[in-house]
Amino acid sequence: MEKATLIRFSDVSYRYESDNETPLPLALKNINIDIKKGEFVAILGHNGSGKSTLAKLANAILMPESGKIYVNGMDTSDESLEYEIRQTVGVVFQNPDNQIVATIVEEDVAFGPENLGIEPSEIRKRVDEALKAVGMYEYRFHEPHKLSGGQKQRVAIAGIMAMRTDCIILDEPTAMLDPKGRKEVMAAMRKLNKELGIAVVLITHYMEEAVAADRVIVMDSGRIVLDGAPRDVFSNEEIIEKAGLELPESAKLALLLRRSGVNLPSGILTAEEFIEAFKFSVSGGAAK
Amino acid sequence: MIKDITIGQYFPGNSFIHRLDPRAKLIVTFAALVEIFLCKNFLSLALIFIFSVFSILFSKISFKVVLKGLKMIYFLIFFTALLQIFYNEKGNILFEWRKIKITDGGVYTAIFMAVRIISLIFISSLLTYTTSPTTLTDGIERLLSPLKKIKIPVDTLAMMMTIALRFIPTLIEEIDKIMNAQKARGADLDTGGVLKRAKALIPIFIPLFVNSFRRAYELAFAMECRCYNGSNHRTRMKIMKFTWRDIAAFIFIGMMLAAIILLNHFFGAVI
Ligand SMILES: Nc1ncnc2c1ncn2[C@@H]1O[C@H](COP(=O)(O)OP(=O)(O)OP(=O)(O)O)[C@@H](O)[C@H]1O
Ligand SMILES: [Mg+2]
Repeated sequence: MEKATLIRFSDVSYRYESDNETPLPLALKNINIDIKKGEFVAILGHNGSGKSTLAKLANAILMPESGKIYVNGMDTSDESLEYEIRQTVGVVFQNPDNQIVATIVEEDVAFGPENLGIEPSEIRKRVDEALKAVGMYEYRFHEPHKLSGGQKQRVAIAGIMAMRTDCIILDEPTAMLDPKGRKEVMAAMRKLNKELGIAVVLITHYMEEAVAADRVIVMDSGRIVLDGAPRDVFSNEEIIEKAGLELPESAKLALLLRRSGVNLPSGILTAEEFIEAFKFSVSGGAAK
Repeated sequence: MIKDITIGQYFPGNSFIHRLDPRAKLIVTFAALVEIFLCKNFLSLALIFIFSVFSILFSKISFKVVLKGLKMIYFLIFFTALLQIFYNEKGNILFEWRKIKITDGGVYTAIFMAVRIISLIFISSLLTYTTSPTTLTDGIERLLSPLKKIKIPVDTLAMMMTIALRFIPTLIEEIDKIMNAQKARGADLDTGGVLKRAKALIPIFIPLFVNSFRRAYELAFAMECRCYNGSNHRTRMKIMKFTWRDIAAFIFIGMMLAAIILLNHFFGAVI
């Protein structure tokens, strides 16, 4: 069954305003994307390829220069729908320090629902649920500045969750984190997606994170150059390299081995797959 | 050093005092501070001092923490007491040597002042120890909400206050980082005259300002994403409701006031 579309970019271009006479080049060029309910999408692209711009457009923080963006069928350029759009699509930014408003964890998570004018008892319920979902319930009375980066980022995610959005866009949420913090945030995201059915759009520079997604979109200089299942996307080595990216470690290693004559199948993405295929190839070679 | 300040910190808890309504707590604290200044003799002062000590016991906040908060002002207390002892010439002379004259009035006033300052610190720090900054600002906002009628944007001011409180630790951390970065590049922050040191601070404050602007910009986006638009449609998770606790606190502080007035009236004044 085809799932309903949540966010639709239809031929969207965007240009930042320039400080002087000469206009800036387009930051996004003729973007077409459909993001479906409950999908887990990873967006990859080099620095300045337009990923963050995309996130801000989906959330009605920026308006397209041309083309239309629909969130659940609502046109983002309609200012009267701003509230509802932001209740449907939430954005978590890269630096958790700059998105936490309150001085106590639970009060920060309550900030969004409070702005929506929700009943106090309902806010309480949502805040507790959101904090439990990201595994930060025990820290609800803590001060945000005393938390680790990964914990802060999970609080920021809970803050969006408490608004009960259908989709969460995370703009490089793990960029400032160590491997442990990254794992914590990834686990929280996977849980949102798999257990609560929230669509997750993950903007990232880590190929390993993208491999875990249902779908990968690769951007290059304001355009979408690849869009599909991870396995299909990462089989286009040339386009990936031209977009200034690298394949996931295991895929890269498999590719190099294959090029130097080792008998390995294509489409290897994770370390586990690599080990399996490599074992098979080595034992097969011995039998020959 | 800056990180050691405990005044203004919040220690979560579930005590009677923690659970007072922030508005009630603000009013009672203010009343208690006024009462401290109304005390005229040792009896009334002792009463309010015992009140402050019991309040701390009641809040279940360890005395160690409270005394640590006092550390910053030990010097002030000591200095005030010393001044009183040497310069106050009221009462009988206890000790005289050349120009130095110590009177019993001076000693009494010194003790009186010291106890008064300590009580002041106890009571005012207890307010912040037991109330989260956000709750406190909420309380202030509610208490001042009649001012909205004369077009003072109390809720916006309260939001500003919350953000200021929220960013103090972040900025302290950042100053630390920038200072170390500049030191690593050979900046000399600790020697030289006043002018030289002031100049050395420029490379600290410029990045701080630039970063703060960037932060403000990002925070504004994040707040907008979470549907903040400065209007008064906001609700609050924490409902403020006066309970029997608050009424008890009001009655108690009222009785204290009566007791202090009576003690002042029937017993002699020290100051
Ligand atoms: N506020 C702005 N004003 C002008 N130009 C901007 C602004 N923000 C971004 N740009 C430009 O728009 C383009 C896309 O930027 P964007 O931030 O969307 O990239 P990105 O893919 O998120 O990069 P990164 O991986 O570094 O986060 C870049 O060329 C950038 O220089
Ligand atoms: Mg970006």
